[in-house]
Amino acid sequence: MRRTGSGRTALLAVLALLATAPAWAADIEFYQTVDRTEVGTDDTFKLTVVVVDAPSNAQVRLPESNDFEVLSSSRGSQRSISLSGGGPAVIQDITRHELIMRPLRAGKLTIPPSTLTAGGRTYRTDAVQLTAREGHAGGAPQAQQGGRPSLPDPFRNFRNMPDPFGDDDSDLNDDEPVIPRGDSDLFLRASLDRDDLYVGEQATLSLYIYSRVDLSSVDAVTMPKLEGFWTEEVESPTQLTGEQKVVDGIPYRAYLLRRRALFPVKSGTLLITPAEADITTGFLFAGHRVHRVSNGLKVKVRPLPSGAPPNMSNANVGSWRMSLDVSQTRVELGQPITVKVILEGQGNVKNVTPPKLTGPAALKIYEPTTTDRVTPNRNRIQGRRVVEYLVMPQRTGTFTLPELRFPYFDPSRRQYETARTDPVTITVEAGAGGVSSLPSAMTPSQVADAANEQKNVLTTGGLRPVRAQAHFVGPSQPVWMRPFFIAGVLAPLGLLAGVAFIGGMRGRLATRSEAGRGRQQAKAARKRLAEAEKLKAGADAGAFYVEVEKAMVGFLEAQLGFPVGGLTREALGEKLAAAGVDAERRARVLFVLEACDLGRYGGGVEPGERRKVLATAAAVMEGWAG
Amino acid sequence: MSDAATQGYYTAEEAEAVFQQANDAYGREDYATAQAHYEKLIAHGFGGPDVLYNLGTTHLARGDLGRAVLALEQAWKQGGRAADLEANLALARARQVDKVVGATADEAFLPRLAAATDGAAVAWVFFVAWLVGFALLLFRRVFPALRRTAVAVVAGLCLTAAVPAAMLLAAHIWVHQNVHEAVVLSPTLVARELPRSEGRSLFEVHAGLKVQLLEETGKYVRIRLPNGLEGWAERDGVAEI
Repeated sequence: MRRTGSGRTALLAVLALLATAPAWAADIEFYQTVDRTEVGTDDTFKLTVVVVDAPSNAQVRLPESNDFEVLSSSRGSQRSISLSGGGPAVIQDITRHELIMRPLRAGKLTIPPSTLTAGGRTYRTDAVQLTAREGHAGGAPQAQQGGRPSLPDPFRNFRNMPDPFGDDDSDLNDDEPVIPRGDSDLFLRASLDRDDLYVGEQATLSLYIYSRVDLSSVDAVTMPKLEGFWTEEVESPTQLTGEQKVVDGIPYRAYLLRRRALFPVKSGTLLITPAEADITTGFLFAGHRVHRVSNGLKVKVRPLPSGAPPNMSNANVGSWRMSLDVSQTRVELGQPITVKVILEGQGNVKNVTPPKLTGPAALKIYEPTTTDRVTPNRNRIQGRRVVEYLVMPQRTGTFTLPELRFPYFDPSRRQYETARTDPVTITVEAGAGGVSSLPSAMTPSQVADAANEQKNVLTTGGLRPVRAQAHFVGPSQPVWMRPFFIAGVLAPLGLLAGVAFIGGMRGRLATRSEAGRGRQQAKAARKRLAEAEKLKAGADAGAFYVEVEKAMVGFLEAQLGFPVGGLTREALGEKLAAAGVDAERRARVLFVLEACDLGRYGGGVEPGERRKVLATAAAVMEGWAG
Repeated sequence: MSDAATQGYYTAEEAEAVFQQANDAYGREDYATAQAHYEKLIAHGFGGPDVLYNLGTTHLARGDLGRAVLALEQAWKQGGRAADLEANLALARARQVDKVVGATADEAFLPRLAAATDGAAVAWVFFVAWLVGFALLLFRRVFPALRRTAVAVVAGLCLTAAVPAAMLLAAHIWVHQNVHEAVVLSPTLVARELPRSEGRSLFEVHAGLKVQLLEETGKYVRIRLPNGLEGWAERDGVAEI
């Protein structure tokens, strides 16, 4: 543990000075200066009040004004010893009060004089004039002294000290810490090297103790909640190593507590809560423990720009190279191959996933093992991730491990890049093989597989091949929704319905009037008579006369509108007479019916007789009215 | 490939050439190119079970389980049933994450009946039996009197066969109209109690699972698993077969 001061050395120096019995300077000098005469209302300046050779009981009253606020104050003492000629040493005590101040308004402002009371006398410095502008005035501070100009500056050794972060952390743009008002001697400071970045891009969080007092130990450190970040430790010192650092002109020793790499995993404004630490100051029984809380931080995280390759992970950010390391490209059956997919570069090494190794079914690829080697450099996380596969050939032949592609976003170039490997051709030959050549990293099950897989394995499992020929089919509706199908199903039903309808209509039309029915019957009778004519020359006279009689009876029933089959000749004659049939026609009807009776029972076999009967029947029908 | 082929119209020869290019790309394990060619064929009206089978197989080779099952199921539905299709479909199902317990117990009869039979074949059997039966009946008088009885018997047999075929066809039509099957495409799809994003999550399904779509509201569809589990899932996460 380093301490900020050396009390023992100072004590020895005082004892040595007392031993020399020096001469004390007599005059009191008292003056005040500012480091700049033009200042902005957003700037700070330093007022230095110097007291030389004041008695120990001297009271210094620093200037007070409503135009300024005092951000911090410090007091330092220096004793100088001058040896000239052979005379006694001249001792000068110099006390310097430094105030970091800020103007509260613009305009010509006056810093009132400081006063010193010693030995009943009051000393005053001159007032200091300065010009305050709105905002920042710019320009480097320049000393402006309100009294004696040249006195040794006891803190000059702290000015312009090389920034301990300047060389090693040139890319670490920590913002200047702001000295908290209440804890100006010892405070905790968290800072980021950048607060505007992309998802997956690294920001570095540093946690420092700034101290102007002696530190004994840091008992506990509570790091901020880092929700929304993937974090990696960059630096976590086991011993506190202080570095000189000047804040607002005040020298501090800065102790690094932690340094972590943050990789945001989501976009938006992410908050980093304050860190806390319990610190013991002082020595032994004089020490006391203080609790300090750091500042909170805010990070603006941008989403990755559009145009990302499909299925690219948000973790694929940085600068990467990928390579493939194959143990051998010509093997015998049963000999395993080790394939390493190596991804190396700068980025979140432990969160990137190299593309999965794929290959034909003839190469059995086992689940890989992953090893990481993270080597932070200049506070940037970088290293390599190696995914090691064991590949066991199962068939002889030449097979290809296809190329691998790893798309990523390079924030320095602000564009997407793709790291890729070349395809690797592996030739598998039939051979003795042997488990003796198996690598030691294999598990027993893998060894067993290797022993069993020295054969050219021809299995039926796996993906069936694509079809070599295609019968192209355009987009279509199901069969039952096509028009022809519906028409075909409905057509028989429609046809049946149509036939039934037409039949019905015909029957209805035919029976609509008795006259019509009579005409139909008469037509049928004439048709029957025509059939009888075919039989007149035949040998069967009976059949001829039967037909003629049926024709005549049918004709009479059609014309008269009632059955005549059972009537006697007399009754028929009367009916005919009643129907208005003339006597000659009545006689012909009766003649035909008589002839038919005779013919059925053996008479009228002469062809001439048949012709006469037929002609008479025809005459009856033809001449009939209607 | 000619310019015409790239501009939206394929002749049969060009379609055949594209198909062979797709197969060649598959052989080179350039699955992305193969998939693009098969999809181009389908988009240009040159689909069918063979192209769908090859597309599904390509998806399966790429590891896109959801689209693989979708294409293979579409090939199956279009009548491309063959040993290779069944094998790859079985392989895809074996790779699925989800195991639906009690899947067959409550499955409806008609969907199972429709799944077990070929709708197009059933439709054709019914169509032919129906037409032949009626045709024989109507034109029976054309045949000689001695053969009319035989004709009537044959007509009766045809019409009798048409009855079960009609019932089976009706089942297919009912399933076609009322049962909407889909395949989960998203790697993980959350089924919620209500059709909104803040609805309580009931269960999750994964790519390749076959589900039934019941209704649609906004960007959500109600899905039913073969064992009866139901929930609302995002419409984009599933594709109808």
